[in-house]
Amino acid sequence: MHDGSQNRIALLSAEKLGKHVDGPAGRLDILDDVSLEVNAGETVAVVGASGSGKTTLLGLLAGLDLPSRGSVRLEGQPLETLDEEARARLRLRNVGFVFQSFHLLPALTAEENVLLPLELGGAPDALARARAALRAVGLRERAAHYPHQLSGGEQQRVAIARAFVNSPRILFADEPTGNLDRRTGTAIGDLLFALNREHRTTLVLVTHDAELAARCARVHELVGGRLCETLT
Amino acid sequence: MNPLKLALRNLRREWRLPELRTLILALLLSVITLGAVGTLSTRVERAVLMSAAELIGGDMGVNAATPLPQAFTDQAHALGLHASALADFPSVAFANDRSQLLEVVAGDAAWPLRGKLVIANADGHESETHAPPAGKLYLDHRALVALDLHVGDRVQLGGRELRIAAQLQREPGASDLVSLAPRAVMALSDAQSAGLLGAGSRAHHRLLVAGDPAQVDAYRAWAKANLPSDADIVTPQQVQERLRVSFDRAGAFLRLSALLAALLAGVAIALSARRYAQRKVDEIALLRALGASRGFVFGGLVLTLAVPAVIAAAIGAAIAAVLAAAAFAFAHGLLPPSAQNVPLPLTPALAAAGVGLAVLAGFALPPLTRLASVPPVAVFRRIGLQPPRRFDTSYLLPVIVASGLIALESGTWKLAGVLAASLAGAAVFALAITAAMLWLIRRQLARLHPALRLGASALTRRRALSLIQTVAISLGLTALLMLAVIAPSLLDNWRRELPADTPNWFVVNVQDAQRASVLDSLRDLGATRLNDMPVAVGKLVSIDGVPVERVKFNSREARDTAQRQVRLSWSAALPPANRVIAGRWFPSHPQTAEVSVDRMWADTFDLHPGDTLSFLVGERHIDARLTSIREVDWSRFNVNFFVMLDPAHGGELPHDWIASFHLPHGNASALAAFSRAYPNLSLIDVDELLDRAREIVSQVTGAARWVLGFSLLAGALVLAAALTMSARERRHESALLRTLGARGAQLRLAAVCEFALLGAVSGFTALFGAASAGAWLAHSIFRISDFTPPWAPLFSAAIASAMIVAALGLAGTRSVLRASPLLILRRS
Repeated sequence: MHDGSQNRIALLSAEKLGKHVDGPAGRLDILDDVSLEVNAGETVAVVGASGSGKTTLLGLLAGLDLPSRGSVRLEGQPLETLDEEARARLRLRNVGFVFQSFHLLPALTAEENVLLPLELGGAPDALARARAALRAVGLRERAAHYPHQLSGGEQQRVAIARAFVNSPRILFADEPTGNLDRRTGTAIGDLLFALNREHRTTLVLVTHDAELAARCARVHELVGGRLCETLT
Repeated sequence: MNPLKLALRNLRREWRLPELRTLILALLLSVITLGAVGTLSTRVERAVLMSAAELIGGDMGVNAATPLPQAFTDQAHALGLHASALADFPSVAFANDRSQLLEVVAGDAAWPLRGKLVIANADGHESETHAPPAGKLYLDHRALVALDLHVGDRVQLGGRELRIAAQLQREPGASDLVSLAPRAVMALSDAQSAGLLGAGSRAHHRLLVAGDPAQVDAYRAWAKANLPSDADIVTPQQVQERLRVSFDRAGAFLRLSALLAALLAGVAIALSARRYAQRKVDEIALLRALGASRGFVFGGLVLTLAVPAVIAAAIGAAIAAVLAAAAFAFAHGLLPPSAQNVPLPLTPALAAAGVGLAVLAGFALPPLTRLASVPPVAVFRRIGLQPPRRFDTSYLLPVIVASGLIALESGTWKLAGVLAASLAGAAVFALAITAAMLWLIRRQLARLHPALRLGASALTRRRALSLIQTVAISLGLTALLMLAVIAPSLLDNWRRELPADTPNWFVVNVQDAQRASVLDSLRDLGATRLNDMPVAVGKLVSIDGVPVERVKFNSREARDTAQRQVRLSWSAALPPANRVIAGRWFPSHPQTAEVSVDRMWADTFDLHPGDTLSFLVGERHIDARLTSIREVDWSRFNVNFFVMLDPAHGGELPHDWIASFHLPHGNASALAAFSRAYPNLSLIDVDELLDRAREIVSQVTGAARWVLGFSLLAGALVLAAALTMSARERRHESALLRTLGARGAQLRLAAVCEFALLGAVSGFTALFGAASAGAWLAHSIFRISDFTPPWAPLFSAAIASAMIVAALGLAGTRSVLRASPLLILRRS
């Protein structure tokens, strides 16, 4: 099953990315010579075994971390030339996230969690948009609930509402169904792709769930830190 | 969105977090302690200073050891000023087979010129008046009760029978902040005719003037030019200055106790802030991943703490003001009457709120600063709070705040340095003992009971936290044990060390001609350890030929001492309880005059053997070479002198005698008869003075104990902060143990063992700390040769603290032990 339009503008590109850490046993290469291009509106999945470097790659692509070598361009901007504050501004305008462990702020209600990216960006009609986003994920009536009062599936729906609420150009999802049972995971996957279609967002998904990955237009596999195969 | 909005939203739920509550409680506690002590000290100080003019009883005074020449009164009258003469001295009154030491003021009919002398007649009706006419006196309530007298009765004072005309309610000139003995006011003419004001009596004479300020200034200039050698001029400003100095010393102790509480609260704040920061790592990483700037994140964090902190500081300041008002109401009987209506100052409580917030900022900002630097990539993996870089400047902040606080509260950098060093020393001592005990526990772990082993291993596993907890609790406990156990024991030991027949009476103003018969009479009364010394009153006029007015002294104390009159004595043999520490004692017939001074005097004036001191005694001038410096044991209650001359030269000076003797109590009638026979003599009851001193010590230590209680509370907060810091780890451990089949009782026992051990370590550290400090004080200050710390109460206190800490710890971990293991494992 393929998704997304195929216009050929590279929204995100990575060139010869490498990432290593220095440990007690010497240098450990997590990523090695990874190159990737993602066009606007495309859906791309990165699969691989645990420890293959998927999450590290996602972090580098989203500008959350800097590579040891190579370059990442988002919207044509080379991320390594920006400082952390500039990268934060870039993320705020263009990027949404969905995490495996939901990452909702425990002190804020569901509605306030969804409001967060809008308010950080100073959006004028924040409340109405947040309520609409919650309605879209079927949780309008749980708006005043705190994260600990919600089930895992509900928490992830709030996280998805938060991810789409400011209509980001690109959405990064890190094992979005990894902490959920199969049925809930499927429902969350459906919701994620439905909203993605609706918002025409570019999606980069990291998962080891083959079924979920198969819903993307392109699937890359990471083995031992290298993008060794591309399945389409 | 602005950071404040995020902070307020966060706070809606986070105010329930134990670490935030501990942090706010610690802030509240430090503001209350600093504020209450600051407000009370300022109010008492203002009250005392405001009454300074009244304390003098005139616009200006001339103090002297002997009555001032008539010219002084004449000059005042010539300038159109009012003048009044008075004298004050201690003396024993007799009535109803009882004796009572009194502080007596003898004034002329014009006294007081300023301030109010208020008396009450037999019906209790109050009126303002002047000193009583001859043959009458006023006694205060304490004196009436002590002697079982009423208005209208007769009392014997200075060998004369006087009638009590009224009860003394208030008088100006009660120059002591705390009045030692009951007070009496009599006519100056009665004191003069009874011979109570002789040169060797302990009377201070004063001539007061009041009137037009310009004329007072003119009089001051004239008096300065004509001042006798033993006299000095007193102005309200000088009195204020002296009171301020003595008050600063008294207040310093309380302020330092409050400081200890504030610093311990700072430790609790640092621990809580660190725990809070750890909890927030994931959130901050998320906010950063979502694009929030570092400034926004840091602003949000700071405001989350600042909002409740400002509220808590305001509440703390209000509580401090209320507490200070209550303490002032309780203590106002100790203050001069006119000082009792001083309004409550609000600045110290507000300043304490500011200082409390500074403590919070100093101790909480470093972990928050590091938190704001959490990288956004942390959103993918739990990285926790990164350990600080090897040298992180933000960690200088608590050091700077603590140093500033110490300097602010102690008033001088020198004292601040000594105090900081002492606190650091005590902390290092506590740290060393705790580390040694932890090491011992670890070595013996395998041999311990399983429950004890679980508890002990928890202590050794969280070693840094255990050390911080024990040091903080130990410091608070040491301070409390010092006051509650060591101080009373030192006083008791000191009294016990005095032989039973230590002189308990002094008799002063014995004239040369009466000496033999006075001594015989005292022997006849059964007085033992009878010892008399000659005494001459003079003034130090120059050192090595440099007039004292031009000598550059190191301290204000030296300058003041040099201005005062000095009592000189002489003796062929070195008096008992004296030891020569430099130079040699007088030879039998020195060619030129020689002088020996006490070490304190030598230190004050920086004197060395070989220096020449010049004294003026009456009209006689004497130059003497310093040939010895003595160490005097002032605790022995013998007659002792700072300055002694060789007898060959001293004997030529105008002098009288002072005698000390021991007479068991119950001889009031015989002493009354003796006093009647020698009306010019003043009798001083040393036991009575000692009892009064002890009463004041107990009042002061009572207040200090109250303040030190806050320090202990701050220590408990450190424990609470440490508990919340390790809560997550504890919860996980206990869930695992429960999953493996541990029973609730086993876990509780392990927790009790852990905290009882912690309490025992702190208790015993405090025990040894307090005992060593007590031994040092006994040796260096009280000069008690064989002081044994009161081990039984110290051990009881240590055991009690172990039990209290165990109970507190168990209460703090109750929720951890109760929760379902599944829930905990899922959450963690």
